[in-house]
Amino acid sequence: MAGSGTAPLRDDNPNVLVTVTDLEVEFPVGKGAVVHAVSGISFDVAEGETLGIVGESGCGKSTVAKSIIRLNDIKSGSIDYQGHDLAKLEGEALRKIRPDLQMIFQDPISSLNPRRKIRDVISEGLAVWGDEQGSWSQDRIEELMMAVGIDPKFGDRRAHQFSGGQCQRIGIARALALDPKVMICDEPVSALDVSVQAQVLNLLEDMKQRYGLTLLFISHDLSVVKNVSDRIIVMYLGKACEIGNADELYEHPRHPYTRALLASIPEPAPTVDPSDGDIEGELPSAITPPAGCRFNTRCQHATDICFTEEPQMQRIGDQDHYFACHHPVEVSVSV
Amino acid sequence: MADPQLTVRDLTVRFPTTRGVVEALNGVNIDLEKGQMLGIVGESGSGKSVTAKTLMNLLPRTAEVEGEVFFEGQDVRKLAAEGKEHFWGVEMTMVFQDPMTSLNPVKKCGEQIAETLRYHLGRGKQEALEEAVDLLGQVGLPDPKKRVHQYPHELSGGLRQRVVIAMALACQPSLLIADEPTTAVDVTVQRNLLNLLDKLREERGMSMILITHDLGVARGRCDDVAVMYAGRIIERSATETLFSDSRHPYTDALLRSIPRIDQPSHTRLEPIPGRPPELITPPVQCAYAPRCRFAQPNCLEEIPDVQGVKGMHEFACFHPANTDRGREALATNVAAGKSAAGLAITGYAGGGA
Repeated sequence: MAGSGTAPLRDDNPNVLVTVTDLEVEFPVGKGAVVHAVSGISFDVAEGETLGIVGESGCGKSTVAKSIIRLNDIKSGSIDYQGHDLAKLEGEALRKIRPDLQMIFQDPISSLNPRRKIRDVISEGLAVWGDEQGSWSQDRIEELMMAVGIDPKFGDRRAHQFSGGQCQRIGIARALALDPKVMICDEPVSALDVSVQAQVLNLLEDMKQRYGLTLLFISHDLSVVKNVSDRIIVMYLGKACEIGNADELYEHPRHPYTRALLASIPEPAPTVDPSDGDIEGELPSAITPPAGCRFNTRCQHATDICFTEEPQMQRIGDQDHYFACHHPVEVSVSV
Repeated sequence: MADPQLTVRDLTVRFPTTRGVVEALNGVNIDLEKGQMLGIVGESGSGKSVTAKTLMNLLPRTAEVEGEVFFEGQDVRKLAAEGKEHFWGVEMTMVFQDPMTSLNPVKKCGEQIAETLRYHLGRGKQEALEEAVDLLGQVGLPDPKKRVHQYPHELSGGLRQRVVIAMALACQPSLLIADEPTTAVDVTVQRNLLNLLDKLREERGMSMILITHDLGVARGRCDDVAVMYAGRIIERSATETLFSDSRHPYTDALLRSIPRIDQPSHTRLEPIPGRPPELITPPVQCAYAPRCRFAQPNCLEEIPDVQGVKGMHEFACFHPANTDRGREALATNVAAGKSAAGLAITGYAGGGA
């Protein structure tokens, strides 16, 4: 696993909105040790596209997302957004660009201030950024609340008076208030019951169409990610293993880890063998990640080269499908 | 049909609160054969965990319990009243969702397992510790001799859950209740843990109740599945029947609202409108009626009894999906543009329509 290399970048695509190049993020954990949270990942997102990031806990998917809106420090790499390098922006310049990049979080209730009315929660961004304070206010808030399916007459209530699904709708309204270009969704439906999950997924899809959003959608649930995404990145221990068009990637998974994930879910994908899921052990430490391919400790196909040489991202023909593996699983492509 | 190992009859649990009485369980019936794996699925608040806690005698004292629970001829509620706590620990044991909070953080893993053996079976200190090593080996912990001397925080989530399973199995129970045992772990670890539970169950001829919100987990692992909604079991049948030929509109809608891995991306989902009802003084009607696309006037007037073939496929609905009665009800509602409960209905591809 590896996934270093900039092969997945679509230089020829004029619609690319965000380009992340060789992103590295490390967190110190004392005594000079660092957690290698994200180690050299490159990808881009085209305007209007939904990019899904999937992987197990600790693989760095949330760190990638948070790096884009600079909620954590970046060690190296660049994040190009409309000619700005988000990785280098500081102070006022960074502040000015942040309304374009909004985020919704996993736990819908704890991500809303419990002491404030939800009307104020939704309008806080506007209070900071609105030109003529006061004049935007109520109409815009009511429009947003209606768009996400919350009756505006409940604007004076507080977060605890709503269910989890409603709180997530409020979180979405808050993120939409500043008319963002990019919306980052970090496990937005993981805390919701299955019957409510579909409501929120449909709402995100509707909001994306209506407001012309570009989405980064992070989840550990492979079925959910496939449902919402145009393209998907599979991550493992800070690296990307496989990137590609959502349907193509699930149809012809090449990386042993992607196959293991698809075979491990309770109702395995029909495109993999059950034995692909037989991977031993658990995620190694991100403080001392394995040399060579990071998946080598658990991979059924690992040979000597996997322990010494890191595989680079490579493209399959001219398809929108890239993987980083010395021993990719051959798949018969049905025409 | 042999006598079931576990029989639960009309189990009702109420919790008095400052806002009123919460009717957490309402007439739950369960029959479990020896060696069987029963899945209980449902959303939060549907009563799955309360069912498990009632069986395990873990409810708070304020809970008002009614109904009967018999296990291999013993009256379980009587055992509880008499304080016979070795029953839970020897005959019937439980695995909880979060392995970190169900283990004592300041006690070594081996000691925690040995404690169970000493308390319930009266084993000696050294003997119990040796058995703990053996148990850790059985649940697939690498290097069990070293692991008995480690604390829970030194283990990963998956290994911790194996320790919890070893503890639950220590006294050779005949029924294991697992309440969301894999919800806190990743899918690759989940698969390994569920494989382990399957293997142990077969080796020991143990019965199991698997509680989960994940329909996929239930489908892959259980012989029978019971679906709970608002404190009631609303449908129960053999697993494949439930997933291919469901009767209750809630089951049907739930299955259709989940994204499936074999659907192309951007497939529009069919959510269930609204949300689960409050359990404080619920109205006398089918609890699902306000959200149901099939609801007719009678659904709002009385609570449907369980019907169908006893022990085969039972469900509590007046207008079951995938039947003529259900199709008729749905057609009426689609024609009217709304259900009897006023839910707007434009169309629905499910329910065998």
